Amino acid sequence: MVMMCTKPATFEDSEYDIRLSGGAATAFDETSKAFGHMMDGMNASDQHAHELGDHAVEQTFVTAPAPINSGLGPIFNNVSCVSCHHNDGKGNPTTGLVSSSMLVRLSMPGTDEHGGPMPVPGFGLQLQDVAIFGKQPEAKVGTTYTDQPFTYPDGTIVTLRKPWYTILNPYIPLPAGVIMSARMAPPFFGLGLLQNIPESTVLGFADEGDADGDGISGRPNYTWDPVNKKMMLGRFGMKANTATILTQVAAAYQQDMGITSTVFPQESSFGQPPADGLKDDPELPDSILNATAFYIQSLAVPARRSVTDPQVQQGEKLFVQTGCANCHKPTVQTGVDVRFKQLSNQRIHPYTDLLLHDLGPDLGDGRQDFTANGNEWKTPALWGIGLFEKTNGTPFYLHDGRARTLEEAILWHGGEALKSRQQFASLSKTERDALIRFLKSI
Amino acid sequence: MKQLSILLAAGSLTLFACSKDDNNGGNPNEDFNTVKTTVLADFAVKTGLPGYSNLKDKATTLNNAITALNSSATDANLSAAQAAWRDMRSTWEQCEGYLFGPVEDDNYDPNMDTWPVDYVQMDSLLASSNALQLTDIENLSTLSLRGYHPIEYVLWGKDGKRTAASITARQKQYITSLSLDLKNICTALYTSWAPEGGNYASKVQTAGSGSSVFAKKQEAYIAIVDGLIGICDEVGSGKMKEPFDAQDPQIVESPFSGNSAIDFKNNITGAYNVYTCKFLGNEGTGLNKLVAMKNISLDNEIQQKFQAAITSFNSITVPYEQAILTQKVQCQNTMNAINDLKATLEEKLRPFIITNITD
Repeated sequence: MVMMCTKPATFEDSEYDIRLSGGAATAFDETSKAFGHMMDGMNASDQHAHELGDHAVEQTFVTAPAPINSGLGPIFNNVSCVSCHHNDGKGNPTTGLVSSSMLVRLSMPGTDEHGGPMPVPGFGLQLQDVAIFGKQPEAKVGTTYTDQPFTYPDGTIVTLRKPWYTILNPYIPLPAGVIMSARMAPPFFGLGLLQNIPESTVLGFADEGDADGDGISGRPNYTWDPVNKKMMLGRFGMKANTATILTQVAAAYQQDMGITSTVFPQESSFGQPPADGLKDDPELPDSILNATAFYIQSLAVPARRSVTDPQVQQGEKLFVQTGCANCHKPTVQTGVDVRFKQLSNQRIHPYTDLLLHDLGPDLGDGRQDFTANGNEWKTPALWGIGLFEKTNGTPFYLHDGRARTLEEAILWHGGEALKSRQQFASLSKTERDALIRFLKSI
Repeated sequence: MKQLSILLAAGSLTLFACSKDDNNGGNPNEDFNTVKTTVLADFAVKTGLPGYSNLKDKATTLNNAITALNSSATDANLSAAQAAWRDMRSTWEQCEGYLFGPVEDDNYDPNMDTWPVDYVQMDSLLASSNALQLTDIENLSTLSLRGYHPIEYVLWGKDGKRTAASITARQKQYITSLSLDLKNICTALYTSWAPEGGNYASKVQTAGSGSSVFAKKQEAYIAIVDGLIGICDEVGSGKMKEPFDAQDPQIVESPFSGNSAIDFKNNITGAYNVYTCKFLGNEGTGLNKLVAMKNISLDNEIQQKFQAAITSFNSITVPYEQAILTQKVQCQNTMNAINDLKATLEEKLRPFIITNITD
């Protein structure tokens, strides 16, 4: 009789180990390799697939025809996944160099047949600023920064740098009205968990008309997925313009490296003069494409550090008090996935709601991407953000790497996040330091 | 090194608790805390920095040899250039036993050792009228046209039967500039570790006591150990395994010179140098001593597995691109020995470090 009265209860917050940012898909490593660990507890077959993908992301592609890794370009941004995603993470905000991790998206005003951005005739939706020897890249990108001082109420001044991008030496004149948006490579890990957050959970975070009056709306992006051939909730990309890891990976192969696959079987240069004219598409075997997607899906999230440090704990409270946590959702539950127990029904700490928010004109790119307008960005996951100093050598933050410190990144927030930024700015120096210390612990 | 157990990493498993205070035959008079500082210091100045210093010198030798070949295309000069390439390669592959820090953060590795060679681009570059001076090389858009392997391709030819007379003037100019580029890269890499430059050596030495890179000693140790695991993984599961599985000699790393098996052996030797702190005639206090102080049987096991992996290469008696076809058992045995070593480093040495070095 006693037994019958016992019902399963939910755990208290304190009964979870808060270091487990990715739930069961968490790895304990705080070195430069922290982003590169497979989820624990995979069977031998899955480990093999993960290792194949791990190897694939390190491969340097070369010009076709070649005995191995054939098909680079003819126009591209870089030659391998890891060239941009340094240590499975980010890189540096330069363009067109062998070590560059940044690219520029392009579009014309208007939308395509699926409501996506309108390609620029002769250039497409992404500027390929490198070409194989003897071919001309679409253009080069010039980057300059201007100082933009920010003064705290307490008089402290921080100098932000605002980037300005220009397109140099286009192979044909660019049409008038081209819209540009620069972005850095994001880290790979944790995407399997984000892909497994139920759509209903994401929609539950949305408050499109700001019904609760907190100044924060948040709305989902819906995007055309070429694999499923339907509109789907966008989860990946700076503007949530991609629905699945597979599509994200295939798009990167094709657009960033010029490697065609069954998902995108046409060269990025199709119809343009640099097209290679070879009938070798798709260049990437499905097995490699799928192994790469699997690798990314099964990368674990790095565990938090210093969680018992009082300064970190104070910073965590301030993160909530200043409203950062309204969009950067600290705790989310993933859906059930019978295939992957490590991704299934996990209590995770991604610090994102996967929704679009207006971040104001200073951060805006003026470029529409499906339903995302020119001031909107998807809340990026913050997990692992404290490890960029390790994985990246020199860290850079925000979509285009303009912020050199976490403090700068916070100070760029405007639009829906303006109130939070103002609250951050009005904190004492000690409190601001605590909040940043907290960010370094996640 | 890709799978980390949450429990192991958290250091909460009783498995280690019992080995914590065991002395197991190590010298009880030595202070573990002193040794753990010495190991980092010695790694920095007796392995890390001297390795890059030697690499820089060998890059200069290679550049001189290729310059001589460029001015006088004799077969003797070709042989000298080939020997200089192999010699430099030997140091570099051993330096790959510690692939962390500037070599990784500042892309020195891909700048000199990108693979595979891009034949199509190289052929069109050489067939073009594009200038081939150093600045032209530096401006090439892809790294697969720079570094060791394009030099190897020209010095040996695609079939490995190069004669000095068959090297074209443009090929000679190309590798002259490539070797100068390599020399500049290696000089910069050395400088990044040297006191007169970035002084990364001191950042390792001062780990846990003011280092701007390693807030804790443990972080520097993990970087070192992960370097050992990483190179074993790269050789055992990548460089050797892929051409072996595919039975394809074309995808072996250094196919023109037939140097691949030597490269692989030097990689593992490089890791052993780091473990024992013995490199290029320098000798210091290595990880082996630290491990032996707490767990001599673990040190014995690691030493034995290093030796087994290194000596297993002796049974591969033909270039690796042939061995994958004709000495399959020997190749598999070597890979097994490397994977076995890697498993010990990953499953025993790394947890040992996490448990015993917490500051």
